Amino acid sequence: MSSHSAVEREDDEAVEAGLDALTSPQAAPPDKRARFVGRVLPPVIALVVIGCLWQALWAAAFWPEYQLPAPAAVLDQIVQQVRSGQIVGFLWVSVHRAVIGFAVSVVVAVPLGLLIANVPPVRRAIGPLISGLQSLPSVAWVPAGVLWFGLTDYAIYFVVLLGAVPSIANGLVSGVDQIPPIFHRVGLVIGATRLTAVRHVLLPAALPGFLAGLKQGWAFSWRSLMAAELIATSPQLGVGLGQVLHNGMSLSDMSLVMAAILLIFFVGVGIELALFRPLERSVLRARGLGGGL
Amino acid sequence: MTSTLEPLSTATDYAVRLTSVSKTFGHGESAVTAVDRVDLTVRPREFVCLLGASGCGKSTLLNLIGGLERPTAGEVELTTGRPAVMFQEAALLPWLTAAQNVELPLRLAGLDRRARRDRAEQLLGLVRLVGMGRKRPHELSGGMRQRVALARALACTSNDNALLLMDEPFSALDAITRDVLQAELLRVWRETGTAVVFVTHDVREAVRLGQRVVLLSSRPGRVMQEWSVAGDADIVDDINTRLREVISSHVVA
Ligand SMILES: Nc1ncnc2c1ncn2[C@@H]1O[C@H](COP(=O)(O)OP(=O)(O)OP(=O)(O)O)[C@@H](O)[C@H]1O
Ligand SMILES: [Mg+2]
Repeated sequence: MSSHSAVEREDDEAVEAGLDALTSPQAAPPDKRARFVGRVLPPVIALVVIGCLWQALWAAAFWPEYQLPAPAAVLDQIVQQVRSGQIVGFLWVSVHRAVIGFAVSVVVAVPLGLLIANVPPVRRAIGPLISGLQSLPSVAWVPAGVLWFGLTDYAIYFVVLLGAVPSIANGLVSGVDQIPPIFHRVGLVIGATRLTAVRHVLLPAALPGFLAGLKQGWAFSWRSLMAAELIATSPQLGVGLGQVLHNGMSLSDMSLVMAAILLIFFVGVGIELALFRPLERSVLRARGLGGGL
Repeated sequence: MTSTLEPLSTATDYAVRLTSVSKTFGHGESAVTAVDRVDLTVRPREFVCLLGASGCGKSTLLNLIGGLERPTAGEVELTTGRPAVMFQEAALLPWLTAAQNVELPLRLAGLDRRARRDRAEQLLGLVRLVGMGRKRPHELSGGMRQRVALARALACTSNDNALLLMDEPFSALDAITRDVLQAELLRVWRETGTAVVFVTHDVREAVRLGQRVVLLSSRPGRVMQEWSVAGDADIVDDINTRLREVISSHVVA
């Protein structure tokens, strides 16, 4: 009798192991080369097409040289800056400002976002203000920053913070709002207190929205920084990319202006692609989301 | 003498007591009464199965018992510790692996890393998921997820005076796995002496597991009838007939 049930049980186990093997998802072997080609080729083609169009427009000479320089002239301008080593200075000034400004923004925005998301009176009081600030162009703060802080780094950080804090805080708020209510219940049921629920359920559940906010916050701090550097120029401030842009305009040097625009573009996009995209992708992948990324 | 003994005896003769509990969702025209004046007592160590048609308020009743929903009227009393709940959906936290999902309640209860890991491994073994601990929920099948959720629920019941609430825990499993897990559940129940409230659609399952089967009517959910299960087979047909009556009466009305 007992041996019979043991045999039956073993049999069950075999059957069930078989069933489990069937239901486990099978990972397709990744083809690295095909993925690389699929990822890199489209943007490269787009760049080449844009370059050709530009070259053609320049060759047709619709506009005078000082309005539309040749692509080669702009490239030459960048190469010159690289050769003389000045480019390192520009990039350093701007990027380190952006990184510091962004880091301070995160430190300010996270508690702010958590407060807005979790304390209803706070949400009613400043929630609309914060989302409204997000649509206010941060360049509007430059004059105020200069009048309050003079032509100093503080004026620049002030503008960067007002640009980045609202979007990071809003990202966190919408991340928290989009948490499926079942997770709050799970938190209660597994014995989380208010505080441990924030740490173990709320924050990780809100992470995708928060990361989206961070990414947007980076874009906003970079933009705000360029606006601030372009307008608030002074010898004490050091020469960042925005100042280079300003110099190009003063000197009517269109190739310098275009070179600065290209650099601003590539730094902004480069940091997003190198830092935020992989971070977001790995977070979403770990949850079985984000197939499109 | 009697006055000191009496509250003591009444305090221990139930694990859960619902007194005329009602729950209405929404207001005015769109209000839905999911649970209507339900009286239900679950004794300590008792295994009670709730049966009823889809939408009759079983999950709502379970949420009321678990304190996840407040009753619109009536009173819910527990003498047990915080109930362990297994939801109708697996509700695993998608950013944690299967093992971490099982460990989290232990971690919140203050167990150290070693003890957590051992207990989680043991529980995953119990639900027959050895070696699956490192998988993320989305990498598991629906039935495997349900089993991880069962392991997590069991991880929540550490104390002696426990209550386990389960909402159709085995509905996504194949017959063989279900059979095995039903046996495991019965074993755990006998070993730990926890009271269990178990929601199911399956009359056979209810009769196999429960000491008592409670049939709920639909819209609004009320207690229709109760059976004590004493091992006789007729009861399945009896309950089936009654369930049919309840459902068809609803169609006519
Ligand atoms: N949050 C809610 N808001 C409004 N109505 C709800 C809510 N939750 C449940 N209901 C309603 O209450 C009734 C009972 O729902 P409940 O989930 O308890 O049913 P159930 O018996 O668990 O059904 P099933 O067997 O399909 O899981 C349903 O009519 C449902 O529409
Ligand atoms: Mg239900």
